Amino acid sequence: MSDIKLSNVSKTFGIVSVIDDLTLTVKSGEFLVLLGPSGSGKTTILRMIAGLETIDKGTLEIGGQRCESLPPGQRQVAMVFQNYALYPHMSVSGNMAFGLENIGLGKAEIAARIAAAAKLLEMTSLLERYPAQLSGGQRQRVAIGRAIVKQPKAFLFDEPLSNLDAALRVRTRVELAQLHQRLQSTVVYVTHDQTEAMTLADRVVVLNSRHVEQIGTPMEIYHRPATRFVASFVGSPAMNFIQVKTKLNGKKIGIVAPSGKWITLPNASLGKGDVELGIRPESISIVDRDADATGQVKIIERLGERTLLHVQLDKGPLIIVQDSGLSKLNINSPVKLKFNVSQISLFGPDGKSSLRSAAS
Amino acid sequence: MMGSRFQITKLGAWLITSLTVLIALAWVFPLYWGVISSLKPEDEVVRPYIELWPQTLTFDHYYSALTKSLIGLWYINSLATAVGVTVITIFSSMLCGYAISQLNFPGRRYLHILILACFMVPTQTLIINHFVLMANMHLLNTWLGMILPQLIYPVIIIIYKQFFDGVPKEFREAALMDNASEWRIFYRVYMPMNWGITTALAIVVFIWTWNNFLWPFLAATQNETMTVPVGITQVYNAFGVYYARRLAAAVLAALPVVLLYLFFQRQVTQAITLSAGIKG
Ligand SMILES: Nc1ncnc2c1ncn2[C@@H]1O[C@H](COP(=O)(O)OP(=O)(O)O)[C@@H](O)[C@H]1O
Ligand SMILES: [Mg+2]
Repeated sequence: MSDIKLSNVSKTFGIVSVIDDLTLTVKSGEFLVLLGPSGSGKTTILRMIAGLETIDKGTLEIGGQRCESLPPGQRQVAMVFQNYALYPHMSVSGNMAFGLENIGLGKAEIAARIAAAAKLLEMTSLLERYPAQLSGGQRQRVAIGRAIVKQPKAFLFDEPLSNLDAALRVRTRVELAQLHQRLQSTVVYVTHDQTEAMTLADRVVVLNSRHVEQIGTPMEIYHRPATRFVASFVGSPAMNFIQVKTKLNGKKIGIVAPSGKWITLPNASLGKGDVELGIRPESISIVDRDADATGQVKIIERLGERTLLHVQLDKGPLIIVQDSGLSKLNINSPVKLKFNVSQISLFGPDGKSSLRSAAS
Repeated sequence: MMGSRFQITKLGAWLITSLTVLIALAWVFPLYWGVISSLKPEDEVVRPYIELWPQTLTFDHYYSALTKSLIGLWYINSLATAVGVTVITIFSSMLCGYAISQLNFPGRRYLHILILACFMVPTQTLIINHFVLMANMHLLNTWLGMILPQLIYPVIIIIYKQFFDGVPKEFREAALMDNASEWRIFYRVYMPMNWGITTALAIVVFIWTWNNFLWPFLAATQNETMTVPVGITQVYNAFGVYYARRLAAAVLAALPVVLLYLFFQRQVTQAITLSAGIKG
């Protein structure tokens, strides 16, 4: 059992409230990602679990044990810091041994654990080196190794990939996923990078200033964003937002697309007035007739496998539409667009999704 | 165009170099003169013109300074005092600097201010108190009495505090996550991280203490308990006005410091720069 339970946790720095009444459960063996913009309190949550930050209100349980007043060392969690924090005067094996020596483990046991972790991370040849003699990627491995040898109940990662260059980041991301599959350990992983969240997470917690916007699997977060914030934060390029009116047609309520066409959305709970229609670039297709919206291509971004068209709607904003890599459209070409109805999101004036099945 | 500008730069560089060399010579000459005079016979020293090299080279003054004074004993006293003061000052300052920098305890800010305030109290103003205190404790003419009042180097504490302030807090946090006790964080993580600065500070404290005059002069009332700088003033008293002999004794007194400086030039410069930055 190594689940983590935060119940009604609040945290203030001076007079600034950073976390407000957070309740969150990380299941045993789960890879949970805390995703949010900078300053949304992700690091603070992680540090409260680690014990590096006090919990003002609420409770914390790790593996069934109340922890909020235990010192960091006794919570049996391991943290990988953003800048790795490897002790510069200790060799790689010294870095890994330090935490084990502190709990009085025997020499043989320490050596065995280091050897096993080094083998797992393919860094046996680095053990005698010093941090200054390692590349960024290698340091990161050592930082993970230092966490693994402690055999903790849970791993805490704070933006571990942010100091790596782009290519290495992609590779390390895959390795982290493989590592988690192999170790099956509980992980809480902080990032502001939605790609990392999507690729690594079992579940994602999207945070926005002081509160949780949505908790769900990456696919739920992506396809059924619970709030406009989640919709705009996750996905690159971002989701398009178009102001539309609701309209009653007989007994059915629907929305009026920019072209004037009436779209009925069976699982929407709509009132009267305006809503915001959210639709991702890949859920819009270019058609010859029966369009939901029309417009003119203004900018063409060719990305190789796909093309992003920035289309100025005749009645609406500039939106981004995804076309095939070999798109034949030119600047100023008129286009007819069709929305994939099953991929439409609707947001009321409060920013919440108006689709009934938003959570499922 | 390019050529002339280049030549002006070259000329400037040449001027600066010559000026530096001149200043260096002006600095070095008295030292040279002192050493050279200590190697001349007494009558050659008092000649009214400048002779850059002795006509007769003699080591007699060194011989007599070494044999007819207690300089051997003074060396031991100086060494014991300087080593004692250095070890205790460095160790306690490091701990104190660590505490004000890293630990959270009530009154920490006041302690810091108090230490800064110590800069404003010249040691000389305390010297009578020290003397009375040491006399009452019967510590005059002992190594301990020599050492205790010289342990006040607030600047070392402040340097350590600033150094520890500059260490990223993640190291401390990583060590906390690693189950390290406060003491282990200090001596396994923070202390080894600053061996460079510790060496440098140890050397300057050693030099400062070795050269210290006022307190050792008061604390040692007997020939046998004097330090080298105090003792060599006795050479003068004992022998009358014998310039060469006095100079030989002075050279002997300065020798350890000079050697230390030669071997650890880089660290000494670093430490002096650090302490000047804080005092200034
Ligand atoms: N030690 C601290 N003292 C005061 N404010 C802090 C402290 N740590 C974080 N904060 C504030 O708390 C908020 C959340 O910070 P953080 O958890 O680091 O966000 P994130 O990791 O999501 O970028 C920020 O507004 C930050 O300024
Ligand atoms: Mg952060």
